[in-house]
Amino acid sequence: MGAILKPRTLPRLRAAPSRSRPRSRPRSRGSPRHGRSVAALRARLRARAGDGPRLGSAGPREQARPRRAGRHRRLMRERGGPEGSGPGQGAGAALSLPPSLTALSPSAVVARAGGDGGGSSEVQWCFLQVKGAIDEDVAEADIISTVEFNYTGDLLATGDKGGRVVIFQREQETKSRPLCRGEYNVYSTFQSHEPEFDYLKSLEIEEKINKIRWLPQQNAAHFLLSTNDKTIKLWKISERDKRAEGYNLKDEDGRLREPFRVTELRVPTLKPMDLMVEASPRRTFANAHTYHINSISVNSDYATYLSADDLRINLWHLEVTNRSFNIVDIKPTNMEELTEVITAAEFHPHHCNVFVYSSSKGTIRLCDMRSAALCDQHSKFFEEPEDPSSRSFFSEIISSISDVKFSHSGRYMMTRDYLSVKVWDLNMENRPVETYQVHEYLRSKLCSLYENDCIFDKFECCWNGSDSTIMTGSYNNFFRTFERSSRRDTTLEASRESSKPRAILKPRKVCTSGKRKKDEITVDSLDFNKKILHTAWHPMENIIAVAATNNLYLFQEKVN
Amino acid sequence: MEFKLEAHRIVSISLGKIYSARGQRGGLKLHKNLLVSLVLRSARQVYLSEPGCPPEPPPAAAGHPEEEPPPCPAAWAAEEPPPPPPQDEAGRDCQGPRPRRCCCGENRGGCAGAPPPPHCPRKRSAGERGQAGSPVKKPRREEEEPPPLPPPPPPSPPGEQEDMETGNVASLISIFGSSFSGLLSKEPKGRRRPPLDGGEAAAGTAPAEAAAEPGQICCDEPVLRTLNPWSTAIVAF
Repeated sequence: MGAILKPRTLPRLRAAPSRSRPRSRPRSRGSPRHGRSVAALRARLRARAGDGPRLGSAGPREQARPRRAGRHRRLMRERGGPEGSGPGQGAGAALSLPPSLTALSPSAVVARAGGDGGGSSEVQWCFLQVKGAIDEDVAEADIISTVEFNYTGDLLATGDKGGRVVIFQREQETKSRPLCRGEYNVYSTFQSHEPEFDYLKSLEIEEKINKIRWLPQQNAAHFLLSTNDKTIKLWKISERDKRAEGYNLKDEDGRLREPFRVTELRVPTLKPMDLMVEASPRRTFANAHTYHINSISVNSDYATYLSADDLRINLWHLEVTNRSFNIVDIKPTNMEELTEVITAAEFHPHHCNVFVYSSSKGTIRLCDMRSAALCDQHSKFFEEPEDPSSRSFFSEIISSISDVKFSHSGRYMMTRDYLSVKVWDLNMENRPVETYQVHEYLRSKLCSLYENDCIFDKFECCWNGSDSTIMTGSYNNFFRTFERSSRRDTTLEASRESSKPRAILKPRKVCTSGKRKKDEITVDSLDFNKKILHTAWHPMENIIAVAATNNLYLFQEKVN
Repeated sequence: MEFKLEAHRIVSISLGKIYSARGQRGGLKLHKNLLVSLVLRSARQVYLSEPGCPPEPPPAAAGHPEEEPPPCPAAWAAEEPPPPPPQDEAGRDCQGPRPRRCCCGENRGGCAGAPPPPHCPRKRSAGERGQAGSPVKKPRREEEEPPPLPPPPPPSPPGEQEDMETGNVASLISIFGSSFSGLLSKEPKGRRRPPLDGGEAAAGTAPAEAAAEPGQICCDEPVLRTLNPWSTAIVAF
């Protein structure tokens, strides 16, 4: 791609040749697959309470229905709650709350949780919900591989290894159930990617969703980008609550009428129908990556986005699927000389010409697209000098950065390597401003972790809305939050035991030295199969989503 | 001495990972294989150094030559005809393939890559970097070219060099398949050396040779050195 890139005003390219964009329901586009996967997903997500299908016949047209006033059907039940009886039950928690809480006005709830970041007081987390099957036997396809809130926090998208995307919508507040606000229920489910086979290289392309990124909402529909190893897709999620009736050439059943039988013409009318949420693929951005895509990031101009694989970063325009610009290429001419790969990339939240990418060597490069079309020369280079005393065989692996995230303010960025999280000031390149040890007690176990492949786990990290606290995952279903100003860190666990509604999460502690205190966990008893790689924080409130293998835990700040 | 054992263990584990990565779903993961190759390189470096040496930083940190020169010349000088002392017991077997291998014009440059002692650590590192990287690069390259099924079809450019290398790959693949479990499970009796002339015939006899070789240390040495020819393998993109 030798085109000269004009970052700020991309040439207005012609829209891709119009493909068939069926406006009809997914059913006509092969939705048996959709229907099947929805039904299967629903079956899996059904709680042990074993309530039957809640939404009537599980046919191919069936879609997950959002909650609206008056409609309190839910697809799943939270575990641990009292077993409700009917669809109108609502959250099990409603039964067990003390009266004092019911008197709380919703506005107070918002104010408390309004992102003050727990300034002086520590945030206490309590359990909100958990999604997913309880089975001990976890199917590989159910393992959640990405979690992302949208810009308002009303929608939460998860992708799994089976190529499915499940979107949860936050409950609207209703007078009758004021405390159930904040619950997330299934809004839409669809199969985003299928396994593919690259015949040229005889390689199977996994359908695992690597990343989901929302687009800011510009009309009634929601858009998100989801990607697997090779292909990015733009999905439109829209609601339909009206149906056209009274076609001339079609019966109400859908059968075609013979034209000569039509004796009079009528104009079809729109009739209300049960709310349905449809997901349809709007764009497919394919064939631009030789290596595995690890990141996508939507630009602040809301018109372009980047996709990064191991050696290259491409810039796309959301409207154009048949062309992308390569903006970073670190592939050496001789692959023998390969020493580092790109591990993550992100656009700056405010400056649409700036992006960063992290490498497997523990460095971050900030690039300005105004300086050149091909941003192989970085504008800033962030690297912390290595501590020579901590050298080991595995120093390179543990310094590899697995995630990089800008703060909401745009002034800082955070990187996650295997043992620590570092906060960098964009103005200072030679070292991070803050370093937090996530699980330093694993440093002596690196050899075993190398053997069982855990050392290659790619943990993600996230900021809260006010950038005062950061969060990342660990093993044994532990996740950690670090308050930046007070340097207070908390270890919490996402477990079934603490899954009582509104149950406050008790901080956990890992015993690092000899004597184990009560309630502490020794390093050797940590379960390394239970890892929390993906977490997300609501953009404005203190609600966090934590993916523990196949379960999604939602925690909310405790309200008094 | 425990460094050597540790290093050896890490080398075995790393090679196991590289091997098993070939068949995994989704194709080769470049990042993971790169990291594994780096570990392999570091471990190999420690392993090939004298027992007295502490674990060395990887080639990139070439700023520690002062630690290396004293043991290094001994190691490198000893490498050529007489094997280093720890490998005495299996010296005869090591002798066998080495002269054969060194006959090849290409390889001679590689294994006689023992640079002048003062520059030993850095150059050896460079040579070994190429060596250690090769088996990993090979699977990595395979991701980009039409998959080489064992035995891989020789690339179109002529030359016995390529034939030998593809033969090496084929042999190593078959050997990994056959004797690798032995390597990991018990005291590794050793691994064969890839034959020079390539082809299944040599590979067929090699496992028998491998079984006959005593001692793990000796037989790893030649294997680690035979990774060298791949540093010049053609990238058939």
